[in-house]
Parts: sequence; C-alpha cells; structure tokens
Amino acid sequence: MGSLKRKSDENPSGEPAQKQQHKENGSDMVDSEPVACIHDVSYPEGYAPPTHSGPSSASDHSEPPKVFPFTLDPFQAEAIKCLENGESVMVSAHTSAGKTVVALYAIAMSLRNKQRVVYTSPIKALSNQKYREFKQEFTDVGLMTGDVTLEPNASCLVMTTEIWRSMQYKGSEVTREVAWVIFDEVHYMRDRERGVVWEESIVMSPKNSRFVFLSATVPNAKEFADWVAKVHRQPCHIVYTDYRPTPLQHYIFPSGGDGLFLVVDEKGKFREDSFQRALNALVPLNESEKKKENGKWQKGLIMGRVSEESDIFKMVRMIIQRQYDPVILFSFSKRECETLALQMAKMDLNGDDEKVTVETIFWNAMDSLADDDKKLPQVSHMLPLLKRGIGVHHSGLLPILKEVIEILFQEGLIKCLFATETFSIGLNMPAKTVVFTNVRKFDGDKFRWISSGEYIQMSGRAGRRGIDKRGICILMVDEKLEPSTAKTMVKGSADCLNSAFHLSYNMLLNQMRSEDGDPENLLRNSFYQFQADRALPDLEKQAKDLELERDSIIIEEEESVKNYYNLLQQYKSLKKDIHDIVFSPRYCLPFLKSGRLVSIQCTKSDEISPSFSIEDQVTWGVVINFQRIKTASEDDASKKPEDSNYTVTVLTRCVVNREGNAKKTVKIVPLEEPGEPFVISISLSQISSLSSLRVTMPNDTLPLEARENTLKKVSEILSRFREKGVPLLDPEDDMDVKSSSYRKAARRIEALENLFDRHEIARTPLIEQKLKVFHMKQDLNSRIKSIKKSMRSSTALAFKDELKARKRVLRRLGYITSDDVLELKGKVACEISSADELTLTELVFDGVLKDIKVEEMVSLLSCFVWQEKIPEATKPREELDSLFAQLQDVARRVANVQLECKVQIDVESFTNSFRPDIMEAVYAWARGSKFYEIMTGTPVFEGSLIRGIRRLEEVLQQLILAAKSIGETELESKLEEAVSRIKRDIVFAASLYL
Amino acid sequence: MRGLQLPLNQTQKVRLQRALEKLESLSSKANSNASVTIADSIPVNAEDSLLKGHGTTVLNDEVLATTCGIIERVNKLVYVRSLRARYKPEVGDTIVGRIIEVAPKRWKVEINSGQDAVLMLSSMTLPDGIQRRRTAVDELNMRSIFSENDVICAEVRGFQHDGLQLQARSRKFGKLEKGQLLTISPYLVKRRKQHFHHLEQYGVDLVVGCNGFIWVGEHIEPTDDIFEGQVHKPEQHTTENDEDSSSLEGQEQSYTPLETRQNICRIANAIRILSTLGFNITVDVIVEIVNLSSSLNLDVHEMLGPEFHVLVAEKEAVQRSLTKKKI
Repeated sequence: MGSLKRKSDENPSGEPAQKQQHKENGSDMVDSEPVACIHDVSYPEGYAPPTHSGPSSASDHSEPPKVFPFTLDPFQAEAIKCLENGESVMVSAHTSAGKTVVALYAIAMSLRNKQRVVYTSPIKALSNQKYREFKQEFTDVGLMTGDVTLEPNASCLVMTTEIWRSMQYKGSEVTREVAWVIFDEVHYMRDRERGVVWEESIVMSPKNSRFVFLSATVPNAKEFADWVAKVHRQPCHIVYTDYRPTPLQHYIFPSGGDGLFLVVDEKGKFREDSFQRALNALVPLNESEKKKENGKWQKGLIMGRVSEESDIFKMVRMIIQRQYDPVILFSFSKRECETLALQMAKMDLNGDDEKVTVETIFWNAMDSLADDDKKLPQVSHMLPLLKRGIGVHHSGLLPILKEVIEILFQEGLIKCLFATETFSIGLNMPAKTVVFTNVRKFDGDKFRWISSGEYIQMSGRAGRRGIDKRGICILMVDEKLEPSTAKTMVKGSADCLNSAFHLSYNMLLNQMRSEDGDPENLLRNSFYQFQADRALPDLEKQAKDLELERDSIIIEEEESVKNYYNLLQQYKSLKKDIHDIVFSPRYCLPFLKSGRLVSIQCTKSDEISPSFSIEDQVTWGVVINFQRIKTASEDDASKKPEDSNYTVTVLTRCVVNREGNAKKTVKIVPLEEPGEPFVISISLSQISSLSSLRVTMPNDTLPLEARENTLKKVSEILSRFREKGVPLLDPEDDMDVKSSSYRKAARRIEALENLFDRHEIARTPLIEQKLKVFHMKQDLNSRIKSIKKSMRSSTALAFKDELKARKRVLRRLGYITSDDVLELKGKVACEISSADELTLTELVFDGVLKDIKVEEMVSLLSCFVWQEKIPEATKPREELDSLFAQLQDVARRVANVQLECKVQIDVESFTNSFRPDIMEAVYAWARGSKFYEIMTGTPVFEGSLIRGIRRLEEVLQQLILAAKSIGETELESKLEEAVSRIKRDIVFAASLYL
Repeated sequence: MRGLQLPLNQTQKVRLQRALEKLESLSSKANSNASVTIADSIPVNAEDSLLKGHGTTVLNDEVLATTCGIIERVNKLVYVRSLRARYKPEVGDTIVGRIIEVAPKRWKVEINSGQDAVLMLSSMTLPDGIQRRRTAVDELNMRSIFSENDVICAEVRGFQHDGLQLQARSRKFGKLEKGQLLTISPYLVKRRKQHFHHLEQYGVDLVVGCNGFIWVGEHIEPTDDIFEGQVHKPEQHTTENDEDSSSLEGQEQSYTPLETRQNICRIANAIRILSTLGFNITVDVIVEIVNLSSSLNLDVHEMLGPEFHVLVAEKEAVQRSLTKKKI
C-alpha cells in the first residue's frame, strides 16, 4: 500500500481537487491494531507537480541516509517517505510516540546532501538537550541560544525559535543555505506571548527550503498544513497519529478516599460506572467542609491543605507498594512542588548502593560550582531528598540542579519526581505513572481547569516504551470538580492549534527596515488571517440562521413591549447599583450580626430564564456570621471584586438535591416550601435586603431541631408582619450610607416606579410571556451583532486598525518618518527584542543610562526582564528607587502616547509591568557579591533569578548593538563592562548537556 | 549657483538666479544656525546628561563637531549629520555598486563609501535557487555570477568582523544589465520605503541606490514567485543568457529596442539635471522632468542644455511655493 500511495503522490495532476486522503490501517480495520496513522497532503492553489520531484531527491541515492536499528512505526515510515520525496511534512503525534526519528532522518538527509538544517525548539534547556542528542549522532552540529553559541558554522544548527527569527531579520547566511527547517513542539504557536514568533519565523522562512513540523496531537493539523502550503507554495504533508507505544490507563483518586478507580482503560474506553463510583467516594468529611463546599461560587478557594497532605503521602505509598514507580507528580506551582516533596520526608525509596551513585553523580555535576555556591541552601537541601529517590523539578531550581535531576531521573535513581508542567515537553523522560495532584491551574489571570490538551501532553509522560506494558495516569480530584469537567479532561480531544498572533513594535520596525519587508504582507500571510478567512463562510451561515430565527419571532404590540422592557432593564440596573452601594462591605458589615433577618434571592423550583417582574424572588434567612475569603495560595494574586471577598453564613430553608450520582446541589427555596433547614454560605450580592429585626440564635446550630425551631420563629415573625411588611434597615438613616450616587439612583428609581404605574401594557395578560419572548429576541439580536462584527473584522485585514495605530505611535515618537522609513530611534528599537523596545529606547535617548554607575544601570535594566510579582519584596534603596521612578515616568509617557494613538493599552498596568523586585539583587550581583549572599536577602527562586540575569545579559548585548548604531562609544563601553560584571560564576555556569 | 557650470546667457542667468533665490527663501530658516564645520563647538546644556553620537567629540568639556554638517538632536542625543560627504552605510539600505574584485568566497564592491563593501558568496542566493552550503565548485564559478566591473544592487546587511557586509536577500537584488549607471552625491537620495521602481510607461527599471549610484536600465520581468517554490530554476535562464550573449554575441536576447534606449537616456539625463541643480532625487520628480522634456519636444541631448536646466529650476520653485502655501 505504501508504494502505491507514493506513486499517487507524485502524480496528483490527474486529480484537480489536489487533495487525497489515505487512511492506513484505518479505523475500518481491527480496533486492536493501535498503530494507525492518517496521511494527508495539502497542495497550494494551482500547484503543478514538478516533473522531477524535490531538490533533495535530485541527487538520487539508493542508500538511505540513516538506518534505524528498530522497525519504524507506520507514521514514522510515512513521514520519512515524504522527506525522501523532498516535501514538507507536519507530524502530529503524542510526546512519547517517537517524533524525533523524523527529525533525525531529516538531519541525516541534509547532511548527506551537504545542505544545512536548522532545528528550532521553544526552550533553551530543550535546545541544550537536543544539541547533545544530535551531537552524539552526527558530529557536525552547532548550538545557538541566547546564552551560548557553539560552532555556529556547523551544518546542523540547534537553536531557539527566537534566534531563528532574528537571524532571518538580519539576513544571516544560514537563511540561504538551509534546506530543511525543523520546528519542534510547533504547537507552542498558541502560546499567548511567544506564539507569534513561530508565525513570523514560518512566514519569513526561505521560500525554497522544506519544513518538518513536529507537534503534539492537534485536531486541526490539516488547517496548519494548508496554511504552510499556501504561504510557501509547496505541498505539505500531514502525518497524524493518536498512537501511543504504551497504552494508558486513567484512574481517578478521589480526595479523602483511599482507592483508585479505573475510568479509562488501555483501549480508550470510558468506564461510566467506575467513574460514578469514584465521584460517590467523594463525600466530604465533616460539616465544616460541607459549608465551604456549598458555595459553588467560591471558585478561588484552594483545597484544604490538611487533608491533602495525607492524600499525597497515601498515594505515593500505594504507588510504591504496587510497584508503579517511577512516578511523576505534576502540580502547577513551584511552591506546591516543594511542599509536597517535603511531605515525603519519611519515605526512602533508594537502596544503599543507589544512594552512593546518586551522591557521586550529584557532586560530579556540582563540581563546576564555586565552593561558596555549593553551600547554597537549595543545593544542600536537595541532596538528602535525592538520595532517598525523591526529586523536584521546576523552573525555580538552579539550572544545574534541574539538569542533575533530569539525569538522575533518566538513570532511574529518582523514583518519585514532583514536577511542574515544564517537565512535560521535550526530551524523552517517561515514567511508569503520572499523577495530577491538582487539576486547577493559574494562567496569569485566574484559576482554571486544565484543558484536555494539557492533560494529554502531561499524561504523555506515562509509560516507558519497551519496559512497561501500560502507563498509568492518576487524577486526584476533589469535590469542586464537576463530573462533566473531569470527563472532558480525561476523555477530551487535543487542543486546537489556534493562532495567537499579535503585533509588536520590534516586528514592525524590523519589517519596515528591509526593502522587501512589509508588515502588511506578514499580516496577510499570518496563520491568524488564514484562520479568519476560513471561518468566514461558517460565520455567515450562523448569522443567517440566527436572523431567520429572530424574524420568526413575532410579538403583538412589539413597540410598547419594547418600551416596557427597556424600562425594566433600566430599573434593574439601577436596583443593582443601589444594591452594590449598600452592600459594599464598608456599609453592611456592621449589620451582619448573628440573628439578623435578611432576605435572600432564591430560585423557585423550576425557574431558569430570567424573571421580568419588578419583584425579585426572595426568601428570609437568619445571619449566623460572616467571614472573609482568604486567599490561601500566593499564586492567587488576582484581586477579586470587593463583595466576593466576604461570605455570609445564613440559616435558611433549602432543598438538597442528591439525585444522580453526581455531587449534590443545594438550592435555596422559600420558607413555605418543603425543604431542610440548612446552613449555607452565600456572597454579599445574594442578599437583597437587611431587616431591622434580629432573633435570638441557639448556641449550636448543628442539631436539626435547633435549626428547625429557629426557622419556625422566623416564620412566626414574618406572619406577624405580613400586612405592613418586615421593617427594613433604611440605607440612609440606619446604615449611614452617604453617597451622592446612592441618592441619585434612589431618586431615579422613584421616577421609574411612577412610569411603571402609568404603563398600560403592564396590566395586559400574558405580559410575562411576551417579555420573555422579547428577551429572547434581544438576545438573538446581540448574538447576530457580535457575529457580524467578527465577520467584518475578518473580511478586512486582521489587525489592520491596530497596525495603523501602532505606526502612528512610531511616527509620533519619532521612530519612523511619514513615509515609513526608519529614523535613528527606530534603528535602535530594531535591535531590542528581549525587552519592551519603546520604553527602553526612550530611556536610552533620554540619557538615563549615561549618567549612572554601571551597577545601577544593570539594576535598572533588570526591571525590564522581571515579570514575576513578589508580594514580600522589599523596596529597593533610594537611588535605585528614584531610577525606577524615572523608568516608570518614561513607561507612562510611552503608554500615554500609545493610548492617544488608539492602541488598546492600560496605562497603569503597562507601567506596573516593570517590576523593581530584583533590583537590589542584581545591583549586588553587579557589584560582585556572591550568589548565596544575594539569595539570603531576596525572596525569589534561585532559578528564576538566574534566568532573569541571563535574560538581562541578552538585553545588554542588544543594547551594545544599539549604542553602536547611535555612535555613542562611551555608552557602548559601559554596556560592555556591565556584561563582563554580571557574566560570571553560577549564573552563567555551563549546562551539563554541553 | 555655487558649482554650477553651465554656459548660461545673461537672461538665463538672471532667471536661474531668481528661481534659486526663491527656493532659498522657501527653505526653512530654522536650521540655518544649526550647521557647523569641523571643530565648531556645539551648544549644549551642560547639566543635561547628553548622548554624543556620530560626528561629535568632547574636548575640554566642550562638545565639538568632527565633520561639517547639521546638528541633529533626538531627545538627549546630539549628532552631526554630515553634508555632501561620502556615503555612510546604514543597515537595510538598498545600494547599487560595482564589483571591483573577485576574492575567495566574496566579491569586493565599490559603493561610493569610505570603504569597499563585501558581498559574501553565502550572502547571495545561488543561481539554481537551491538551498545548500557553498562548495568549492561554487567558489570557482563565482565569475559566472558576477565578474569584475559588473554592476549589482544589494542590501546593506551590517558591519561584521571584516568590514561592511552586503547581502542579496531576494531575486530582485543582483546583477544589473542593459542600462546605465549614474553617480551623484549620496545626500541627494532620501531613504524611502521603495528604492526599486518599474516605470511602466517607459519599460524601464530604476534603482535609486542610497549610496548615490543610480541605475537606469531596461525592465526585466521579475522571476515569478509561483515558480520559486518549485524546482524550476528561473535564474538559470539568465545565466544561460549571459553565456549566450558572451559566446554568440547573442543578438536577439540582448537586443534593447531603440525606444527603450532613448527612454533610458531621457531618464538618465533627468537625473543628471537634478543632480547639477542639487535637487533631491525621487521617482516623482524624475518622471515629471521626463514628461516636461517630452512635452517640449526636446531631444534627449537637448535636455542637458542650459535652457532646460533653468526651466526645471523655475518649475521646482513654483511647485515648492505652491506646496508651501497649501501648508
């Protein structure tokens, strides 16, 4: 079948559609055959097949450039066939499937044909590892990262994607000699910050070269290949496989429970029954926990640590007992990694001889460090853990420690590794078992569930090929996880590869600098534009459907209904304004005394759609107390709106829903309806009003009787006040709310209420239904509007307006002339790619760097490279602080210009994106302090600081080039001195892989 | 009038004088005292932290100019933009140059600058369009790509270890044939987004090199991008052509129609006039002058006569005063 297929590849002219799909060993065959792969080709429009195939096969070698000692999997063979034909290929497979084989073959082929080959990876550390791997295989290999450059003239160059991009902008000779470009982990393209680098690199890559894209499984690989085929006018093959060399079993470990439940077996079948049993095992332990759990809205809560500790310990013990080790335990914060590892203190997983080996390897690696650095707490604390077979791996570690741990893990001397997500990409470092200690992740803005794509990527570490029969994947879930979320996580498909394209000034300037470059051209060729174009017909259809639906809704007296509807909306929003004012913690907290009667918004048994009466559905309850929601983890830096920072515990009548095996839901119902008296916690926004009454509360609300009695009392009171209504606290008189906006809103509400009375339609029957229908119609309208908007933006060139705005900024700041020709400032900003180019350039031209001492300059520049927020960081000393203030002034100025030019930017957050947190540390480092000395006073991770300083060195190098183009020699030599001062010792210790 | 050497009669002299005076009065006065000669002191505010750029030096706490030119200030940076100097290369400039030497793995190129530029073999797209490392064979064949005295255009890549590096990023860079090269003062060329121009109505290509070398030649259809991605080797045809033309004195391929040749000369003369009068050289102005000359039914050689010079100067004066009024 293979040979047949290849033939048809070479002669596609017979098929004008230019599209073929080959299913090899496809789904129609036996299911147990797991080695299926899908092969597909994208041809550019109007592509005529060459009479003679690709450039590389021009030299017909009968002998393959590389022979592998094992039989290739079908997908590997398929991809290699494409390479042999000299055509680009996108390989989409799981991490462990063996994509590297394809890369190795491409390299071997290029070397044989005396062509150059570039291999790019997203991470420096990964580049180092790949360099070592390739160097052992082929000798003619070089490495270029921001940190090191080795043998830049070699035929095979390993580099980070950023370096490849800047080489293309600079027009390095490599761009004219490279026949194959290999993009590893190309799914990084969806990275919000860095993804755009891939798009730039791919668009700008030499037209005559061929590509190998290695990616995790992405469902829209075809779309990506279509894009490449279009941009580079060459066919691009897709080889896609879901195949895992070792099948996976997915288990769920319910927190607090003590067993594993198999939810997906090695054939990929989802076991519903066992899944439900797992969730049933999730009964919360005690009443206090129950209270917390009732509040579904408390999303930010971190799981109770007390119970978790033991969970992890239990889990690891069980894994060891069942011989499921080695195991990788993923968590999403560095601190959590460390604390979890420390909880394992009692365990010892290594034998005596293994301990000796660990110690030898460890000290051999640490040999390159200075004696003082060997005494760093991170180094000395790590060894005892490692000796017991327990390791930690996250970006906060010293790079050298990280590498030692990787080596030890590969050697099987670490049985239990606590790692962050970064461990899930790159070199083949599989374990038998992978555990997810947490399923929530902080993504910069908020906590969210990990996506199924991330789950797939990380679970890819489970199962060692040729050693384990199957890999094991354990998900630790707690009660906050919705069953449906869990299911999509475990069973869901891989994440789509979507463009994260955005504009940067550096990109624009570099494009404008060269005769050929044109930012618009880049935009037109971007994957973003491609995807937008593609989505257009779909959107059109959607809009049409919705419009039809909207027009089919016919309402009598639509005009007056509309009128009434609008009034209602106004009324509601005003009510909400008032509510927000009155129930801001400042005003209402003093009144949330135990025993106060409050009315609470509640839902009737079957209500889903929004109600349209003036009256809200309310019921009454009794306040027990209130509490502040603590932000337990330091990762939770995002501040929530003020009202959700407090919850009120209230006793009221509820219906507890236990049906289904799902977790139970609690619903507040009116007092008269059947239900249990229940203590729940609600947010302030759910309270609709406070009464002036209080009832005496029993000391203990635990017994059902006490609760029932209290509620009975409440009912009595309510019936007493039935006629005149329960006396409420008056916001102005009783609660002392003094705010002009409150008064304004109150007056307008009065006016509106009068209007309601006069509105006739309010008294017509069926008004409720009419309003509901009208609401639906409004909803449709707004959806159509948003679809139309996105249609408009995609028919036009994506980012066109932003491009205009950004060019305006550059013009106003004097970076380019009105004809888009670069000025001196623009040339300087061109050189700066590792920091905010505008702010730094302005800083240079303002002469700020000129006057200050070298160490002060280095310290100031550190603000450009440090992004982490450290709450407990101390303010830097005065000189540095005033420098930082200058920087902030410049940044604010730059941001304001951008705002004036209609670039979407938040001035304050832009200004605050420069962090002074490591200024002191870097200052000390530039003055020659020892690393352990600066670590004692700085609350940051060693690894993070080192990465910061390394990046700082990159910025300095770029500034040297910039100073050269200005012609300012003094500044240039000052910058060079700065480089020599910071580039020393442990911070720039060579990687063990080199 | 300085440096103008034209056999003007009395009326022409007066007219030219008037036009030039008008032009002078129109030019902004703001910069008049910003011009310096060598060793002039540059007034600066001593308290400011100053960045001292090209063409400046510090002597006894005084900032001095090291070239003749105009003081330019960008925020706190002070530098002197020199006038009428040799070409000062900047990264990304499009330049036209002449090969003066074929050296190992590189060509030396005269580019009207203080220093000869270097075009590496590896900075050149190979004629066959294949992406590969350069071999010894390629090196031996370097003369088939460019040989001495060939005129080429290229882009300034940057300053590396052994001097000014050029590169030819795409196919539109490379050898220039069938046309003429003009040398003017580089300061007359303003940097633009585009330096390549195809004047369709004349069938002529115009390359305005930032270095003051200007190429006017017969239009050559750029190699189609569609074929670039494939194995077709468009450039190969041109190389073959070269061989043909050298061996067979290839009449057909190298034949340029008379009309095109006249157009080339007309455009070249237009540039010569602008250069003598010291006006900035842009495509629009060139085309205007060419149109003016043809509307007056002037022969190509008559363009260089004094009368036309005066006409052009007067026209420019009128035009500038018009635009000035608009603003």
